[in-house]
Amino acid sequence: MKKFFSSALARGLFWQLIGLLAGAGLVTGIRALMGLSTTDTFFFTEPAWVLGGFISALFFLVGSGVTSDWIKWARGIDTPDHHEDHHTGWEKYINLSLDHKVIGIQYTLVALVLIGIGGLFALIFRTELAASELQFLTEDIKLFGQNGPQLYNTLMSLHGMIMIVSILLGISGIINYVVPLLLGAQDMAFPRLNAFSYWIAVPAAVLLLMSLFLGGFDTGWTGYPPLSARAPVGMQMFFLGVFVAGWSSILGALNVIVTVLRMRAKGMTAMKMPIFVWAAIATSLIALTATQLIGLSFQLVMFQRLLGMGFFDPAKGGNPVLFQHLFWFYSHPAVYVFVLPGLGVISELLPVFVRKPLFGYRWIAMSSLGIALVGFVVWAHHMFTSGMNEYLRVPFMYSTLLVAVPTGVKFFSWVATMWKGKISTPTPMLFVLGAIVVFLMGGLSGPPNATVSTDLHLHDTYFIVGHFHDTIFGGFVFPFFAAIYYWYPKATGRKMNETLGKLHFWLMTPSFFVLTFLMMYTGLIGMRRRIADYDPALGIDFYHLLMTIAGYLIAISVIIFLYNFFVSMKKGEKAEGNVWNSRSPEWQVPSPMPVHNYDQPFEVVGEPYDYGLKDSTYVRFVESAKSAHK
Amino acid sequence: MTHSQNKSSALMQGVVIFVYLAVLTVIEYFIAVAFDAVPLLIVVAVIKAGLVVYYYMHIYQLNADDGDDEHSYRYKTGTNRIGLWLFLLSDAFVFAGLMVMRANLLGMTRPHLNQTLGLVVTAVLLVSSFFMNRGETAMKHGDVKAFMNNTLVTFVLGLGFFLGVVFVEWRIAAHEGLTASFGNPSVGPVGGVFYMMTGMHAFHVLTGLIFLGVVWNNARKGVYSAEQHWGVEAAAVYWHFVDLVWIFFYPALYLIGTAV
Repeated sequence: MKKFFSSALARGLFWQLIGLLAGAGLVTGIRALMGLSTTDTFFFTEPAWVLGGFISALFFLVGSGVTSDWIKWARGIDTPDHHEDHHTGWEKYINLSLDHKVIGIQYTLVALVLIGIGGLFALIFRTELAASELQFLTEDIKLFGQNGPQLYNTLMSLHGMIMIVSILLGISGIINYVVPLLLGAQDMAFPRLNAFSYWIAVPAAVLLLMSLFLGGFDTGWTGYPPLSARAPVGMQMFFLGVFVAGWSSILGALNVIVTVLRMRAKGMTAMKMPIFVWAAIATSLIALTATQLIGLSFQLVMFQRLLGMGFFDPAKGGNPVLFQHLFWFYSHPAVYVFVLPGLGVISELLPVFVRKPLFGYRWIAMSSLGIALVGFVVWAHHMFTSGMNEYLRVPFMYSTLLVAVPTGVKFFSWVATMWKGKISTPTPMLFVLGAIVVFLMGGLSGPPNATVSTDLHLHDTYFIVGHFHDTIFGGFVFPFFAAIYYWYPKATGRKMNETLGKLHFWLMTPSFFVLTFLMMYTGLIGMRRRIADYDPALGIDFYHLLMTIAGYLIAISVIIFLYNFFVSMKKGEKAEGNVWNSRSPEWQVPSPMPVHNYDQPFEVVGEPYDYGLKDSTYVRFVESAKSAHK
Repeated sequence: MTHSQNKSSALMQGVVIFVYLAVLTVIEYFIAVAFDAVPLLIVVAVIKAGLVVYYYMHIYQLNADDGDDEHSYRYKTGTNRIGLWLFLLSDAFVFAGLMVMRANLLGMTRPHLNQTLGLVVTAVLLVSSFFMNRGETAMKHGDVKAFMNNTLVTFVLGLGFFLGVVFVEWRIAAHEGLTASFGNPSVGPVGGVFYMMTGMHAFHVLTGLIFLGVVWNNARKGVYSAEQHWGVEAAAVYWHFVDLVWIFFYPALYLIGTAV
């Protein structure tokens, strides 16, 4: 316990609390001097909470010590390139580290915590939906200034955003751990910025969760004004949390791009990079640029609430549809940020388990970039019913349908890769196959939403909910689990339990199909999204009951996974060699990986995915004078 | 650092570019007064931006040969340079978003502002960029003293711009009825857009001033040399970026459309 209280995490959280009180106190003091009201429903006034929340994030960063090297540089004091980690065991993960492998695992752990919280929220409101009428989230209950249906709205909205943040952290986790290893680099290009990108996500998650306790909000994860302009204070904490989390994404993406551009091993030309690196680049290009627009749109609503600048208030000459344009300019490409790394994991793992070269390497690499670029010009397909200019509908419909082309390229390539391969199905491969099938379902249910005529009917129904859960599970969740099962031995030197892994898969996959098929079906016959209750006359009570049961089964499967994840660290089967018989460089050295990665640098001498071809190798380790005296 | 230019020709180039930028700004102003031709204003702004990006921010250095030794200062500077430019690219999306907001909410109208003051603050920022360029050129040739003097001038001018916008321009605008909360319904959303755009830009000026203060202080301590001065280069590029944003914001707020 003492080790916990002296950790960077605990110090950061302590200073975050101090910062919150200091910022809120400052505003309250100023208001008192100006003769304005100093308290409100949730003790502090809204401006006090907002400034307090903002300062709390800054205090967290300074308090946890992640900025201390930069402060030294600003004062003209030099610091060593690397700091040795003083911590061993689990404390390593709650303390400051500049090692990309530790940071990757830190990201993954926080992502898992947030998946747990977001999943819990989903279970609560899924239970309420099991039958029509309100059962336990009734209007009589009162919690955090919200009655039952309001609490439903808050949990539903937070489920969305917490899952999105957890996905962003999850992909950062995989990319951080894997990309430098695949490139043969010692670390990311900017190790301090890397640590900063991770640590800034922690206060962001705290701010996001604070919204639940400050009256919540009822806008869904999109935060559209005018509703978000008048929701309780929780809305502001939500905006602030997402804004701060956005910086994690932006700076992390910047680091990935520079790392790939500058730190590749000798001989690793663009077309000889592991395919996952292409996916990481494509996703980073979106995250680097588009993320600013969600930050800006949320800032504008925050200012509208604080200072009365009615950007989105028609009564003051503002335009609510402008918010939607700014918001979706990020939030549509964001889904490609989520799925591109997942699709990269599929392409990376598939050849290993079918023992055949990856079919059409160049096409897959280019299709990742293609999806990323087309993703920038599709945003208004979320707004077909918004009242925007009608002539915009058709071009956005076509650009959206165009996304199917590069995505189709990936599917054809995967099928061709599997064709006549020697397929083996250990747990990571099961999740890869599951990902392909689930993502296909998500892909096939997409065009009806992209086509204006059908979308006018489908908009805001449960069909949409089914569609995007399919794409996100297929594009992120399944590949994320596949990646964890696959690289777990690299990180720990032990394998996760195979039986539990298979149980996880076979419990989650059918339950998930039941859940999303029924979501789409009930959506088609009239179930609206985001509502706490529905009309029993729709006759969909039984389907909702089935969906709730399926939801619980998925939760059980994830609990099995978490048990497996933590227990295998100590008790898993030893796996220090090339367990998957992979050609990739990180598997050519013993596990777990040494602190500074490869003792000997390698150079690329062949194609990355020539599985099954005689005498072909991808990398060769070279003796170098530099590595000798390390 | 490669000494592709000798010092006096580099300084001369800075002067020539400054003259171009100043002349273009005057032309811009007269285009706005005489013709009100938006496409022409955009062309002039793009030309000015191109000059700043190439001659003051030295974008071509992204393509410089950094050698093979990954542990050398030169190679690391090349890496840092890519990182900085990616950050600026990301930041540019914020300002682009604000321009979209301005176009959507205001269209062919603009806030009623003091034109003289607008020209003055624009000129102050432009001159500060000129001195920044002199300072960086001096540092490239190892002249720490000249660097510090020029950076000090840049800092003072930058501070003048910041204070001018926040304490003079904002105050005058508020006096003339341009309020953030769109208090007067007949005025429309123009006040909020004006304060948001100038406020976001002023915030970047403020961070740039802090950055300049840090490198000035480090130069005083003797941290930088002709070969090793990444901090100076980064501060200079960032400062020019702030100027670059203003090249687009100035016509967007002061010149385009009719004042309301």
